[in-house]
Amino acid sequence: MTVDGLAFIGTSRFGYELSAAGLLQGLDRNRISAGIVAPVHRSDHDVDRANEDVASAARDSGGRLLALARVDPWDGDLARDHLVRAVRELGARGLFLHPAEEHFRINDPRVRLLAETAGELRIPVVVATGYQGFSEPVQMTQFARWCPDVPVVLTNGGQYNISGLAQTDAGLALQLDNVHVHTSGVYRDDWIELVVSRFGAGRILFASAAPVMNLQYELARVELAHVPQEAKELMLDGNVRRLFGLGEGA
Amino acid sequence: MIIDMHMHIDDIPALGWQMSAAQCIERMDEAGVDAAAVMTIADLPGINPEALDLINAACADFPGRLYGFVRLHPWYRAEALQLLRRAVGELGFRGLKLHPVSSLAHPSGDDTVALIQAAGELGVPTLFHCGDEPMTTPLSIAPAAAACPDSVVILGHMGGYFHVDEAIEVAEQHPNIVLETSATPYPEKIREAVERIGAERVVFGSDGPVSSPVLERQKVMIAGLSPADTALVLGGNAARLMGVAA
Repeated sequence: MTVDGLAFIGTSRFGYELSAAGLLQGLDRNRISAGIVAPVHRSDHDVDRANEDVASAARDSGGRLLALARVDPWDGDLARDHLVRAVRELGARGLFLHPAEEHFRINDPRVRLLAETAGELRIPVVVATGYQGFSEPVQMTQFARWCPDVPVVLTNGGQYNISGLAQTDAGLALQLDNVHVHTSGVYRDDWIELVVSRFGAGRILFASAAPVMNLQYELARVELAHVPQEAKELMLDGNVRRLFGLGEGA
Repeated sequence: MIIDMHMHIDDIPALGWQMSAAQCIERMDEAGVDAAAVMTIADLPGINPEALDLINAACADFPGRLYGFVRLHPWYRAEALQLLRRAVGELGFRGLKLHPVSSLAHPSGDDTVALIQAAGELGVPTLFHCGDEPMTTPLSIAPAAAACPDSVVILGHMGGYFHVDEAIEVAEQHPNIVLETSATPYPEKIREAVERIGAERVVFGSDGPVSSPVLERQKVMIAGLSPADTALVLGGNAARLMGVAA
């Protein structure tokens, strides 16, 4: 089985959109059993409503979609309240942060409250990573240290540069045991092989980042990777189930 | 005929750069790629003085499968021009590669423009690294294309992650710009490029062997082009640009 480690549903103010039905169709077309979903940044900036919509889609999906809560650290203590409510009342299974779209620096001391809250709630954190000035991989190490018992998942292989200029920095982040990376949009493909061989297959997860990236292509990136079959199975299924507590039935 | 417009061979252990011709061929065979343009990671003149010989030997070892591009540092203008003329005129290289991240030479600087013009006069294209870093974005390279209307300028990675729309826009404005598909993760943008500038100006590349040619070829297939357009993107255009019999 295959689980998509991250997709977005909703209509983003940044010009992309995907409905829950559309995502489920995409998962079906690609024989993917389940997906972790995060809200987009809505045009009305209503974080609470975005979390409600995604939680509702997850409840209606028959267990195929699992919701992450998305909050904006600029909301201060209210961001913490949004996160706690999303987890305790709406059933969110993790926290998603997008420093570039919400325009904050991931290692800004104001973000520490959210890292520590994730620790108290015992939920993993997924961070849109690799954006210069917002979520560089070495900035991520500071965030990850604020919540050492929480799995922290870096999108885009931990770096987002078409020359691979931050790969060494992504490697520094992976030296922290709680840091993991997504396969979405990875440059270069041998980075996937390197993460598996150097840090272990338990540290890298398939994610499509749909609709920002192409679900079919991102799946092919893992299926065609030059790694042992056992590693591929962990990347496609086992790791995301372990980190997000997803049952075998999903 | 499937041709990969962008592969690398180099041997600089100190920097961890060891990509052999044999590795390229192995990955090409896996992907069903018939031929490839190969170039070093380092610029000439520079840290690998053997770069020209390395690429020349690789092409000699795999005739009909590997075609050389010479990667040059524009700051060494006279020597670089001499190397370009030797590579193309004497050794049969099929193109020029420029990478402003490694050279820090701006694409529209006089030294760079002189090289691009010389490449055009020699009848070979210039492949730029074109991504998200300063000096490599489509809008940074476009003035160079405008200054050299008789030279073909290929935007490798077609703008990377964040500058793909700009790559398509500058290609609409400058008919001598060609877009190359490697590493950028958006199959739908390949289709959009074909629709907006024509399939004749989009070429398949992988940036292999470290980026996977089999995956990069799959990206072109996912783009959902017509069979005729797919054939142009995957090989027909590269054959025309490099003077390779299709």
